Amino acid sequence: MNLQNISIKRKLILMTMLTSSLALLLSSASFLIYDLISFRHLLTQDLATQAEIIGYNSAAAMAFKDEPAATATLSALTAKGDIVAAVLYGSDGKMFAQYFRTARTLPEVLPARSQEKGYRFEGQYLDVWHDVSLNGDRLGTLFLQSDMRQWSLRAKRYAGICLVFVLVSASFAFLVSSKLQKVISGPIVHLEDTMKMVSANKNYAVRAVKSYADEIGSLIDGFNTMLSDIQQRDWALRTANDELHTRTQELEEEVSQRKKAQEELLKAKHVAEEASRAKSTFLANMSHELRTPLNAIIGYSEMLEEEARDSATAENVQDLQKIQSAGKHLLSLINDVLDLSKIEAGKMTLHLESFDVTAMIDEIVNAVQPAIEKNKNTLRVHLADEVGVMRGDVTKVRQILFNLLSNACKFTDHGIITVEVDQRREQGEDWIRLQVADTGIGISAKQKENLFQEFAQADTSIARKYGGTGLGLAICHRFVELMKGRIGVESQPGQGSTFTVHLPAQAKIETVDPIHEEGTSDIPSVVSEVKTDRDTILVIDDDPAVRDLMSRFLGKLGFNVLTVGSGDEGLRLAKRVRPAVITLDVVLSDCDGWSVLRRLKADSELSKIPVIMVTIVDNEAMGLDLGAANYLIKPVDRERLAVLIEKHRIARSSATTETNTMPVSLLRDQKHDEEVGAGVPQKR
Amino acid sequence: MQVDATMRRLRLLITILVILLSSWALEARAQDAPSSSEYLIKAGFIYNFANLVQWPQNAFTQADSPIVIGILGEDHFGVTLDRVLQGKKVNGRPFVVRRFKSVADLAQSVIDLKDCQILFVSSSETAHVTEAIQTLRGISVLTIGEIPGFAKRGGIINLVLEDNKVRFEVNVEAAKQADLNISSRLLALAKIVQHPVLDGRKTE
Repeated sequence: MNLQNISIKRKLILMTMLTSSLALLLSSASFLIYDLISFRHLLTQDLATQAEIIGYNSAAAMAFKDEPAATATLSALTAKGDIVAAVLYGSDGKMFAQYFRTARTLPEVLPARSQEKGYRFEGQYLDVWHDVSLNGDRLGTLFLQSDMRQWSLRAKRYAGICLVFVLVSASFAFLVSSKLQKVISGPIVHLEDTMKMVSANKNYAVRAVKSYADEIGSLIDGFNTMLSDIQQRDWALRTANDELHTRTQELEEEVSQRKKAQEELLKAKHVAEEASRAKSTFLANMSHELRTPLNAIIGYSEMLEEEARDSATAENVQDLQKIQSAGKHLLSLINDVLDLSKIEAGKMTLHLESFDVTAMIDEIVNAVQPAIEKNKNTLRVHLADEVGVMRGDVTKVRQILFNLLSNACKFTDHGIITVEVDQRREQGEDWIRLQVADTGIGISAKQKENLFQEFAQADTSIARKYGGTGLGLAICHRFVELMKGRIGVESQPGQGSTFTVHLPAQAKIETVDPIHEEGTSDIPSVVSEVKTDRDTILVIDDDPAVRDLMSRFLGKLGFNVLTVGSGDEGLRLAKRVRPAVITLDVVLSDCDGWSVLRRLKADSELSKIPVIMVTIVDNEAMGLDLGAANYLIKPVDRERLAVLIEKHRIARSSATTETNTMPVSLLRDQKHDEEVGAGVPQKR
Repeated sequence: MQVDATMRRLRLLITILVILLSSWALEARAQDAPSSSEYLIKAGFIYNFANLVQWPQNAFTQADSPIVIGILGEDHFGVTLDRVLQGKKVNGRPFVVRRFKSVADLAQSVIDLKDCQILFVSSSETAHVTEAIQTLRGISVLTIGEIPGFAKRGGIINLVLEDNKVRFEVNVEAAKQADLNISSRLLALAKIVQHPVLDGRKTE
């Protein structure tokens, strides 16, 4: 058992006993040693005295060589039990007489010859050498050997006494220390018991009793203080725990309530989503439903207007123009609302392609011409030389510019509208800058804040005076953001406004099938050798009204127009006639326009004929992906259609006549920095 | 066993025979011509006696007066005694050896009687022992003889041969009459002889 781990009680007893016993043992031992040493000295002296006496008594015998007498003298030593041997040596050193205590003497033990006088200890024996002399004459030497029997007996006895003494005093020490150790161990044991009780029962109300004001007393005080601290903390903890429990219950209730609310919210969300989907469907349907009649209204009013103009009934012309204008306004409203809802829904995607900026500007200039003329404004176009081909969503760029120009026209009267286009390099990228400046009413600082927000026209009064939905700029803003560009405005009320749009010259977002990257550009790059009827246009549309309007309108432009209602028939006719351009609707009587387009592009003979999609279905991306040259949404902007057809026709004819000069670049040369009054193509 | 015992007896017999023969031979030699070793021993004895015997104060004229040893009769010592005693002192007294031819010579020489402390009576004076003793009566002279019955006839110390060893007899009464104090240590070794025969007859 390890001594260090025994109880403090035993340790104390053991310590006391060990200490007292050790002290006693040491003092006894020192006393014993002192006594034994002095006793030995005494014995030595005693032996020396005896040697002297015997020497004296045997001197005469030696002198007279009386051996028996000397032996008799030595025999007197029988009385001395501790003398083992006595020998008389003559003056010649030879043994003269001897005495041995026991019969069995060990001759080798005895010195054969006499030695120097004195005494010496040989092992356990004490040897004494004494000179025997008579009246000063040295006669010989006496040798006495003692086995120190008395001494060893005394030592043994003393050791025994000491042992008994030590044992007795150890037991006394044990008795006394077992009584006295309680003074120290008692409080400690009490403290330990208290501690065990506290840890076993977790009862912190228990206190240890202090017996004395010593170190253990202060230990107990400390323990008690600690206990009361723990008691307080325990109480506080318990209270906190209870509170926590209550809170937890409350929280659980709240959580369950929230969960209920969440479920309700989720339900509500589903309902709302359902409603939203229904709304979207409704909007999509409505746009179809609204556009189809509008298509007819605008188309026929245009036709009627032209006819009226031809028949010189001027009063009708004005009325028809009003119908036309109202219809177009309604159309633009519908388009804006649809665009915005698409943007909101995140369904607006970019269709990237490389296009010639100059051509695009020309188209827009042509398109806004009527609006410019309406308020007697003058349009100036500044096109920088370095501007060439841009990569981006041409439709959206066009719409941005168109919206800005429309606004400029709307809010300017008898003023100048300037379009500036250039290209510059910023932060390692090429940017196209489109700037539209006017000299109109301008915008106040307050109006600027909400300028690009939806449904936020500068003033409600403006809406009444100038019309418009207030969506134009919002759509522009959204489109520019979509193309990773930026739009800004500078304006002074009454001084006019300047809108500036920066667009990356090479847009990064890829949504176009790579096959059509080149082929979808406005200008076909591969020259076909197939012979075509350069003035024939094939119109494939299931709506008889559209077929009628198209043939009338295009016929007026001098084209030979063929109309057909079904896709199959259209394909057959296209093979036979080889038209310069095909216009194609998506919704057909026998099949859909996509399959027709696919078949056209799959046919090696027909694949080179440009196809312009003319449809109510708003899916330009798909059309362009499948190989359509352009995508127009009904009701058709006739002027734009005319421009496009003319462009394709010229391109094809120049290709067939192997003319290398691009008509677009010619056009650009003519129009560069030129004040345009009416940019309608010559064909008109 | 019987063989062993017989052998032992035989050995013992031979030993005794040898001892007897040798002792007889020694005896014969001593009687014929006293050996020098015997007288060497006797000279030593005389010296030792001087050591163990105390004379009265008046026995000496001075404190450092020598102890005078007289040899009466035929001198068997030769130079041995002188040699043994040469340079030796007892209680600060040196030794002087004097030789007397006869009792008359002795009586004449020793008028003062303080000139002799020890008288050795040679075996040649066997017939004049009583005469010599009578002469010295009342005087502190240690008489030493080598004649059987010397002590009994009034001599103080008589040297005898026992087992070929020199032993001595002491007549304590005679010593007392001579006012000599003999040490107990000497007496312890001596054979004590009682009551001297005053009529001077031979005991043997």
